[in-house]
Amino acid sequence: MAAQVYFEDVSVGDELPEVVETVDEVQLFFFSAATNNGHRIHYDAPYTTEVEQRPNILVHGPLQAALLAKLVTDWHGPAGHLRRFRIQNRGNAFPHEQLFYGGTITDKREEGGEALVDLDIYERNEGGDVLVPGAATVSLPRRP
Amino acid sequence: MADEPMVTPEAQAMIGSETRRDTGVVYEKEARRWAAAVGDLNPRYFDEDAAREQGFRDTPIPPLFVSQVMQGVTTRDGLRPDGIPGGGGGGIPLNAAPRRMAGGEEYEFLAPIYPGDTLTAVSRIANIEEKTGRSGRFVLITRETTYTNQDGVVVVRGRLSTIAN
Repeated sequence: MAAQVYFEDVSVGDELPEVVETVDEVQLFFFSAATNNGHRIHYDAPYTTEVEQRPNILVHGPLQAALLAKLVTDWHGPAGHLRRFRIQNRGNAFPHEQLFYGGTITDKREEGGEALVDLDIYERNEGGDVLVPGAATVSLPRRP
Repeated sequence: MADEPMVTPEAQAMIGSETRRDTGVVYEKEARRWAAAVGDLNPRYFDEDAAREQGFRDTPIPPLFVSQVMQGVTTRDGLRPDGIPGGGGGGIPLNAAPRRMAGGEEYEFLAPIYPGDTLTAVSRIANIEEKTGRSGRFVLITRETTYTNQDGVVVVRGRLSTIAN
């Protein structure tokens, strides 16, 4: 994990370093298992393509959300906290494709004694399509 | 058929209704399995000492794991053909919209949640609305859930959306 980021050190417009993830069938399986999810569109390719007419089995929307939340919580570091998180599942993600996670700081403010930073966040694919747009608010520590 | 509203009168009547009031215990192993499946090996979730150094009294759950705390035991009989349970999202009567997919999530995290906590979740259907997107018509089902812990503290407020088409 990166060094702790402090409220004083970030500015509106700063970008989070983009992170690349690739999800494979094993990860889809573990996520289905961890969420008690029997939905065939995450493991049954013939069903998914023939019955539901989708191009391939899909990465779970909540897994895409969780990978985007990981970007944010890795960035806010050990003294930071995720306060708000909002995403929209707009496009499908498929196993083995590269998925890119990033964000931009849109505001800095103090509220209820906390130093808060607002972020616009996204997951996009290799083609540049934003599959998951969203926003997050984190609290950051102040410099000692 | 194509012009018939996808949201049936029965579904329309469900808007605003409380759909679930459940209690669930937070299990450390389930939370860690979820984090491991995501690939999020943050010491905050796995290492008690690291969590205490960060000001937590124990390893908190990963924030987005909260929706899993109320997961019951799924039996295989009664599943829809697509493998999801007939109740909940599968149970809303819609026209020509058999497919289900995640639509989005929104959370306010108000207090940490720890293994051993007992959460009470109260859910209501906030909206069921037909929309038109790039790939045609779909129905967006949005549920709001408030999670309260055993001390009466509201720990999370969430909104989860499902796409049906």
